[in-house]
Parts: sequence; structure tokens; C-alpha cells
Amino acid sequence: MLRQVVAPREDWQKQASAYGFHFHTMYGEPYWDESAYYQFTLEQIENHIEDPTAELHQMCLAVVEDVVNSEALLERCQLPRQHWDLIAQSWRDSTPSLYSRLDLVYDGQGHAKLLENNADTPTSLYESGFWQWLWLEQLVDKGALPRNADQFNSLQEKLVNRFHEIRQHYGIQQMHFACCQDTVEDRGTVQYLQDCATSADLIADFVFIEDIGLADTGVFTDLEDNPITDCFKLYPWEFMLREDFGDYLVDASVNWLEPAWKSILSNKALLPLLWKKFQGHPNLLPAYFLDDAKHAASGKWIKKPLFSREGSNISIVDNGEEQTLSDGPYGEEGFIIQAFHPLPKFGHNHTLIGSWLVDDQPAGISVREDTSAITQDLSRYLPHIIL
Amino acid sequence: MTKQKRTRHIDLNHMRKAFAVKPLAIGIAALFVSGCGDREEAKIYTSLEDCTNDNPDAIDRCESAYQTALDEAARTGPRYNSEYDCEYEFGANQCRQYSNNSGSFFMPFMAGFMVSRLLSPNPYYAQPLYTSYSPYSPYRSRWMMADGYVFDGDIRKRKYNVKPSTYKPKPTVNRTIKRGGFGSSVRAKSSWGSSKRSGGWGG
Repeated sequence: MLRQVVAPREDWQKQASAYGFHFHTMYGEPYWDESAYYQFTLEQIENHIEDPTAELHQMCLAVVEDVVNSEALLERCQLPRQHWDLIAQSWRDSTPSLYSRLDLVYDGQGHAKLLENNADTPTSLYESGFWQWLWLEQLVDKGALPRNADQFNSLQEKLVNRFHEIRQHYGIQQMHFACCQDTVEDRGTVQYLQDCATSADLIADFVFIEDIGLADTGVFTDLEDNPITDCFKLYPWEFMLREDFGDYLVDASVNWLEPAWKSILSNKALLPLLWKKFQGHPNLLPAYFLDDAKHAASGKWIKKPLFSREGSNISIVDNGEEQTLSDGPYGEEGFIIQAFHPLPKFGHNHTLIGSWLVDDQPAGISVREDTSAITQDLSRYLPHIIL
Repeated sequence: MTKQKRTRHIDLNHMRKAFAVKPLAIGIAALFVSGCGDREEAKIYTSLEDCTNDNPDAIDRCESAYQTALDEAARTGPRYNSEYDCEYEFGANQCRQYSNNSGSFFMPFMAGFMVSRLLSPNPYYAQPLYTSYSPYSPYRSRWMMADGYVFDGDIRKRKYNVKPSTYKPKPTVNRTIKRGGFGSSVRAKSSWGSSKRSGGWGG
């Protein structure tokens, strides 16, 4: 695993606007960064990332099975009691999932460690599935990279295939796609999924989360009053379950992507539950619920809220001394601690691997760099190759 | 050679956005073209006369199929914010303005209608069809349904095998009584702005 400096394509910004990649620069800071790339060997990809990703996913599913069958664990995950049936039923019905991203600490050797599972609303999908793919094609075409350079990235192919399966599973020809207003990044991610869905012969309509309506017949509607029967939502289940329309979820009987059982995986309670069930697994870090962790008194831990986004409300606990690393609005549902495991450094950059799955199939990686060791507040996205 | 680890092929035209004008809304067609299964023949007529000439004994049915298609067109046809967007897709002078209680928008003229089972005692199916005169459009000189489905062959082809939709019907909506029941957590949490990347809820 090497960080290689390379010349950016001269016209990449022009191409970005033609392809509708509108969030390559955010808040005045570069996000897409092609001044360098990461180079992996095939062995690193297949043995250290791909295989563990598939295995970690199966371990996570085993935890879901435990949780839906235990009121104590549903309670532990702080999932609202009124929705336990909805969550458990979606699991028992084997409701199909679309995708997830495991965040891994990996430095090129040894075991990748699972930091967390973005199973419900993962982003950076477009830049992974399409944009870095295009970068590689074009660098190979102009001879800047060797012909045999490859990339661990079958995301788009697998997403299109998965939409075909989902179309057949539900017998549908149309789906809605939804995200929140005022976020170019989320809208871009959802547009990409709409493109994948139309490639799978689905009609892909869009509606903002805030615009979703409730009809007198109990179904959810879009702005044209069309019923929403099948919907991809880039919006966390933990929010949906607690908001006003949460009360109508059962009657509206929407086939959601991701399905409701993903609320167990996107919950940080997953981390201590995984550790308890698979203690000592080489791809796991020790993790505990804060309230039963006498462990926090010694050693170095990262404390995270059960529900959080974007690295909010993170602290470091060092031999019992707590130091806040980031503020935020989360934490009322409780915290977990996870053994501190620093991200590897390449130059001044702390590097994080995002490992994608489409359903249960490993489908590629994304590489992000940040100047900060933990919070990943303004990380940059770098392409990668296999050579 | 070992197995390639990346997507084999991506249709770059499909991924380009700068020249694609997407309609505000597109309809759900009740017919779809079938490769196999219970197919039945459907014919395309470009006018009411076209239909009655072909079916001199079924003038009433032609009239009513034509009216059904017009009603469907008003209900499910592609809608655009501006005349420019609509004409970009369908060609100059191919669009007209409509208004309803949710505002005003532009829709292409119905260029033809597709009918099946016109002469059978069973209910017939009638759907509006569109075509494009725009050099920028993939629909140019082809038949297209309200949901964006484009038929094989050019507009001279007037017979297709279709089958009535076997897909699950959409639930009915009489009236939307409330909006905004999702999204409140975002308003509550984003006031924090602890992250410079505020706004997105992806992870």
C-alpha cells in the first residue's frame, strides 16, 4: 500500500460539470483530490480487505439475528419499542438490502480493523463507483498508468444488478428516491443511485424527504400526490422512527431501501455486540457499552454516541481521563467505547479505507485522507489502483 | 489474466448530465411491451380519423379510446417547468402550457395513441404516445410512452406486441392531508454545525 503522487487531469473540473459531479469542492476545501493515488497489491485487496469485508458482514448479520430475537438487546440498541415489530418483521421477511460501507483501519499489512458500519445511509458512492473508475480509465488511456492497472471497484455493475433483483423481487417498474433538501452531496449520491436504477429498467422518481406527504388513505405521497410504494431513502432510520410520520410507517407499508433491519447495523451498539459475540476476532477492535465498561478506567478508548453522524460527539478516554474531540447534538441515547486504534499515516495524512458491499458482496473500496487522526471532518477522497 | 476487479463497462452517455433535461414528473404506463408471455397486438394511431379509417365498424370505440388517451396524457404526460425544457426534448412548437391547482407547467402534445383489444368484448387499453422532433432527443422519430419507455423501431412502425401490466397496481391517493412529517431531526441537529460538512446525513 503506497501513496503515489500523480499529475491531475487538466480538464477534470470541466468533466466534473459535464457529468454532474458538483461536490468535488465543498465549503471552499478540496474534496476530490487526484494529485495522488493509493496503490495496493492484489493480495492486499483480496486477502486483507475483500475477504474480511464479506466475513465481517456475515458477523454483523448474525448480530441482527440476535437483536431481533431479544427484547433486552432491542432495548440496548435504544430502538423505539413501538417499532420493534417493524424492524423484526423486515428481517424475518428477508427484506432486500442495497448497500453498505464498512470503515476499516488498514495500513497495508496485517489485519484490517472495523471502525464502524455505515449500513443505512452511506455516501461517497458516486465518487467511488463512477468517478474514480473514470479517472483510472483515462489515466490508463493516456499512458500515465500501466495497462494492467486495475481497481477494486465493481460498485456500479453490482448496483445495477442489485436493482434488477430488487425490481423482480417486488415486481415493480418504478421506485422513488429521497434525500434531504440543501445538500448537494446527498442529492448527488441519490442521483447516482437513480442512474443505476434506470440502467436496471426502473423508473426512478425523486422526492425530498421533507416533501413526503401522507394521504387520507394512509399511504405516503410525493409532490404530485403519487403514492410512494417503493423508496430508497438517504435518511437515517433512527430519525424516521422518531419523527411525526414514524407513526404511519406500518400502514404506509413502503418497501424501503435500506430496510428497517439496517437500523440495527447503523447503530454503534453493533460494535460491543460484535465484540461480545466474536471476541478476539482479528478484524474487530474491543468495544463495550460505556455503562458496563469498567474497562474505560485504563487504556486508551474512543467514546462514541450510539447514534451519530460525521464524527460528532467523539471523545478520547485515556486512562480514565476524558477529552472531547468533537461537539455535537448526539449522545442522549448513550455511548459505547472502542479501543483506540490510530489511522495509518502517509506523509501528513491519516488514511481511512471505506469497504463497500452491495447486498452481501464486497464491491470495492474508497480511500479518504484527513489531517486529523480521528474526526474525519474535512477528509479528501483519493482514487486508488491495484498493481 | 486474473479476473478484473472493476466494473467492466459504463455507458458514459448515460452518466453525462449537462445536456439531459429531465421532466418534472413522468407517468406510470398501464401497458408495457413484452418480450414473451401473454402478448397481444396493439396498434398505434396518429389521430382519431386514423383509428376510424382502420376500424369503420367501431367508430364509438375509437372515439372513446382516443378520449381515454387524451385524459391519460393530461394525467400522466411528462411535465416541464419551462417551454424551453419541453421543446428541448420534444422539438419546436411541440408543447403547450397547462395549469392546475398546483401551478402551471408545459407538456408535449400527444402524437398518437396505442390501442389494444379495440374489437374484443373485453375492456380495451388506450395509452397516449409521444414523439420528438428535437435533434437533441433520443426520442426523435420514435414512439415513447408517458413513462419514458421508448419503443424499438421508428415512428413508421405501427404494430407492437404488448401485454396489460401484470405489475402490482399502485394504491389510490385521494388527497395528501399533511406534509413535512419526515425531516424534523435534520432541522434540530443541523443547528449545531459542529462539522464543517454540515447538511449531509450520509455517513
